[in-house]
Amino acid sequence: MKAFAYVNPASEREAVAALKIDGIALPIGGGQDLLARMKDYIDTPDRVVNVKGLDATVTSTPDGGLKIGSAVKIVDLAEHALVAKLYPAVVHAAGEVGTPQIRNQATVGGNVNQRPRCWYFRNEEFVCYKKGGSRCFAENGENQYHAIFGNEGPSHIVHPSSLAVPFVAYGARFRVVGPAGEREVPAADYFTMPTLQNVLKENVLEDEEILTHVILPAPGAIKTGHYEVRYKQSHDWPLAFTTVVLTMNGNTISSARVVLGAVAPVPWRSKPAEAALAGKPLNAQTAAMAAEAAVSEAKPMSGNAYKVQIAKTAVKRAIMQAAGIRTA
Amino acid sequence: MTVSRRDFLKSAGVTSLATAVTAAGAAETEAQTGPRVVGPGDLPVTLMVNGKRVELRIEPRVTLLDAIRNRADLTGNKRVCDRGTCGACTVIVDGRTVYACSTLAIEVQGKQIRTVEGLSTGNALHPVQQAFCDVDALMCGFCTPGFVVATVAVLEKHPNATREQISRGLDGNVCRCGTFVRIMEAAMKAKGVARG
Amino acid sequence: MAKYSWPEKPTLLGSAVTRLDGPDKVTGRARYTYDINRPGMIYGRMVRSPFAHARVVSIDLSPAEKAPGVRAVIAWKEPGAQVMYQGDPVAAVAADTEERARDAARLIRVRYEPLPHLASVEQALAADAPAVFPGGNTQTGATDETGDLEAGFAKAAHIVEATYSTHVITHVCLETHGCVCEWDGDKLTAWVSTQGVYPCRIGFADGLKIPQANVRVITQYMGGGFGSKFAPDVQGLICAKLAQQAKAPVKLMLDRKEEHLDTGNRPSAAAHIRAGVTSDGMLTAFDGQSWGTGGAGALSGFPLPYIYNFPIRKRTHKNVFINAGPQRAMRAPGHPQGCFLTEILMDELADRVKMDPVAFRMRNLPPAAPNAMWAEYFTRGAKAFGWDKRHATGDPAPGPIKTGMGVSAHRWGGAGRGSQAHVDIMSDGSVVVKCGTQDIGTGTRTIVAMVAAETLGLPMSAVKPEIGDTMYPFSGGSGGSTTAASVTPAIRVTTVNALDQLFAKVAPTLGAKPEDLVAQGGRIHLKDNASKGVAWKDACRLIGTEPISVDGKWEDGLSGAGTSGVQFAEASVDIETGIVKVTRILAIQDCGLIVDKLTAESQAYGGVIAAINFALFEDRIIDRVTGQMVNPNMEWYLLAGMSDVPTIDIMLNNMPERGVIGIGEPPTVSTASAIANAVRNATGATIRSLPLHPHKVLAAIEQQKAGGTN
Repeated sequence: MKAFAYVNPASEREAVAALKIDGIALPIGGGQDLLARMKDYIDTPDRVVNVKGLDATVTSTPDGGLKIGSAVKIVDLAEHALVAKLYPAVVHAAGEVGTPQIRNQATVGGNVNQRPRCWYFRNEEFVCYKKGGSRCFAENGENQYHAIFGNEGPSHIVHPSSLAVPFVAYGARFRVVGPAGEREVPAADYFTMPTLQNVLKENVLEDEEILTHVILPAPGAIKTGHYEVRYKQSHDWPLAFTTVVLTMNGNTISSARVVLGAVAPVPWRSKPAEAALAGKPLNAQTAAMAAEAAVSEAKPMSGNAYKVQIAKTAVKRAIMQAAGIRTA
Repeated sequence: MTVSRRDFLKSAGVTSLATAVTAAGAAETEAQTGPRVVGPGDLPVTLMVNGKRVELRIEPRVTLLDAIRNRADLTGNKRVCDRGTCGACTVIVDGRTVYACSTLAIEVQGKQIRTVEGLSTGNALHPVQQAFCDVDALMCGFCTPGFVVATVAVLEKHPNATREQISRGLDGNVCRCGTFVRIMEAAMKAKGVARG
Repeated sequence: MAKYSWPEKPTLLGSAVTRLDGPDKVTGRARYTYDINRPGMIYGRMVRSPFAHARVVSIDLSPAEKAPGVRAVIAWKEPGAQVMYQGDPVAAVAADTEERARDAARLIRVRYEPLPHLASVEQALAADAPAVFPGGNTQTGATDETGDLEAGFAKAAHIVEATYSTHVITHVCLETHGCVCEWDGDKLTAWVSTQGVYPCRIGFADGLKIPQANVRVITQYMGGGFGSKFAPDVQGLICAKLAQQAKAPVKLMLDRKEEHLDTGNRPSAAAHIRAGVTSDGMLTAFDGQSWGTGGAGALSGFPLPYIYNFPIRKRTHKNVFINAGPQRAMRAPGHPQGCFLTEILMDELADRVKMDPVAFRMRNLPPAAPNAMWAEYFTRGAKAFGWDKRHATGDPAPGPIKTGMGVSAHRWGGAGRGSQAHVDIMSDGSVVVKCGTQDIGTGTRTIVAMVAAETLGLPMSAVKPEIGDTMYPFSGGSGGSTTAASVTPAIRVTTVNALDQLFAKVAPTLGAKPEDLVAQGGRIHLKDNASKGVAWKDACRLIGTEPISVDGKWEDGLSGAGTSGVQFAEASVDIETGIVKVTRILAIQDCGLIVDKLTAESQAYGGVIAAINFALFEDRIIDRVTGQMVNPNMEWYLLAGMSDVPTIDIMLNNMPERGVIGIGEPPTVSTASAIANAVRNATGATIRSLPLHPHKVLAAIEQQKAGGTN
């Protein structure tokens, strides 16, 4: 890595101030993503600002929801009884992140803000759009792990965050603090589809802003399902995964949120799947139909059509899980 | 010192308070203009490794792994992928396994670091180490220190771990020689033996 | 009649003895090359071509020469030279810390002129392929032909014609390649992560143009080689030169990216095959045109057809060159490829004649021999594995999870020769055994001590093995599964000779002749009267001030060659995701005289797991446009973890009458083929290429539904 200066701020205000320098300053959470990027010279900050000292607690909110500090470690989130009770998909996703060693250091904020795993992005030799270049190498290249939705370009990455998907599905808001003060951004609006103007980032966070909290609303009368498909069982990125959050009226689904992960540059909300679920009984046939709808708008690339079938399966099995039906 | 005294004490925990106070040494108060910036050049870094103080002068960019291997001659844990994907560098920090290659040395000051070297006492092997030897859960041995540490951590957290828990607990470690079958046997054998 | 033989009733040989260096490895005390820290040591770092093919226009070392902490800088290529693959070495630097060495390496300014490149076999074979390699992008070998092909096919009731292939994989040694070089005047000591201290000595001497006598190579522990570590390589010579220039010891270890790019790989293998079978299941003819790539200018051969008896055969092989790192021997070179290309075909042929795959194979085996025991292993294995519960191709069970079984057979050589050893027996009873072999994780150190202890009638703890140093007597590199069969006879011969000298001293004191004596249980006594003897220590007092010091070498009669094996696999396939999970493996392996049962079994587990990776996970992926590797790491170069490893049962067939034969490689040959056949059995769809990635599984299932891949 390039040599860097290091700062350990004692407050949100100090952290934001420390990010303002003549040069590049980046926040470091668990470091499980940033340090690897630095070793590969994808990022070469002059200064690194420790944000592990930010809020690392999980607290209840007056409306019956939860406020999760961005410095909460993934392992603590995965083992949190109240989170498991209210937002089981969050705990499920957290438990599948990486490996035990990664979960022991990685933070919620770092997971949400991590950069893509795309192997063109991660290898210094490829100067792609996300590194100031003028092409996406996945387009004519090895795209078996790239997007099957939202493929208008310029970038065809899949968003790598496991937690982002249930956060979007549960309707979370992100609290962001910057030089101009604080703001809350709905999770669904936090992640950005790539354009030529914004392609250097994957979310709305400005350079001197930090993500401080994930705020989850009271869950209400919902059923949740979460299903991840991985090739290697031990340590691997999912090929596709889904969180479904169903608002129920008896055994009828009154409304649904279906969010897919590892299939698009952002956590991918499937309106067709949600429409297919609304007003239907929660059973295996409905699950199959909604899964078909979920992939109806897929536009795979030359090497990843297989992901369409896998995404479809993930949606179907997540809904079946919500229904309490055993799946493979 | 790299951290303000307040944060240092917050992260250090009660047991290492004395060390923290000592190591903070002279003149460590929060600057009026904000937290102190350290680096990019060398600075004094103190690590508590296997119960002993290790005093170094290193840059902020030096990982915990490189600090102990290159600067403190603690070469038990290995560098294999250097990207947090293989587990050969697994050490235990404040009771939890971490990839030392993906940890900045300056960020674990004041924490209790246990490496593979800290598991045995003289010639007496930790029960996990003994079990590895007994069932031949090693071949070239390069992944072995990381696996031994990870296994110790799994069994400290779950003294009666099931095979499933052991598998998941060791899923952050990779072996190229193919010793997994016997590592599982060793872990099952070491279960329930007195904690090291 | 051989003068030397193994004991009829061994006390140690064949038993389960724990590894001598186990404690050192599990405690972290064992020092590998990567761990060597020498006084005043500095660190080396290489600069390599980022381009698949380019001309080096200029190299400017001056920014590195001026960088902080830099003590030596070298250009490895001259302006005008070509780099032939991403990773091709260009320059190097040494500095007082690793961080400064990396910083300085990045300052070296190399200007390249990119040239047309070949990123894949398809591109190299295209009609309009650029002429990248002198002499052509391909090189076709001689045709191997036996019998009249058309006559053979005329006899066939069924013909299968298809293309089969396996992919390039890298060795992924956990300890990367590299060394520590230290000069003392004109003498070089090199700690190298190597499978061959002696071949390395020659390599350093030749490469540096210094006498071999001035070179000492040391490898007490090394973190995996799998066939890729037999020479100093470019990094070793560079390391030695940096150390010379800097007048300081230099450690130069490759990083993981370099390791993937430039330390070898298993070449790909593909073949278009046409094969015929009679209606009663006898193979008639085999016609195979094969090809493969070993990278830039390197070969890719493999045996084909494999094992089974095709009376009429024709085969040609074409080496295809691409701009990628050159291949190196990788665990059982050629055999996993030839096995896969043949074994999937065998299941397809078996289905044509509606025969059980095991029965079909047994019908078409070469004659049985001690090193060709497939018939017995098929029978034994099928019973142990529950093969009778195997359904026909295509699991009829409802639900998305389909299960299937597959089988495969293999062979290997494993002969040895040439090792030398030295034994000292001292007057205080201590014993040192020296041999310039190396322990690459196989347990060589332990079996050296075992053979000595067995011969001298002593416990393991009374014998000190010394290996891994060119200061010790010659032994060849550890490859080809030759080590056990080379080293153990040398130890046996040497210790028997040393013991004879001790017997000569002891015999008179017991009023006996030397040939009446035996060494057993820590004593030397009369063969037919155990009570008439002396304890080892007392016997050794007779040695006096001049130790018994004996040189010996390998002799015939203690080792053999040729092994056979069979493996069964069970896999489950989720047909809604294409994910394959291996659930069970049974490996049956013959192995001559087993020296240490524990380490021999570990070899078998290791070979099987390596092949599971070959079947399912690992894959060297090159970007088809730029020719650069997209996964030179351990994140996207997938390797199995604990949760991916199935139940594995090993049956080793101890055959002491055949002498010691190596088995490091054979257990890795069959597994991928057995797994692929299990997947075929489960899904009913044939996948004819590795790895069995979900995209292939789903595509094969789709194709099957639309009209069949069979």
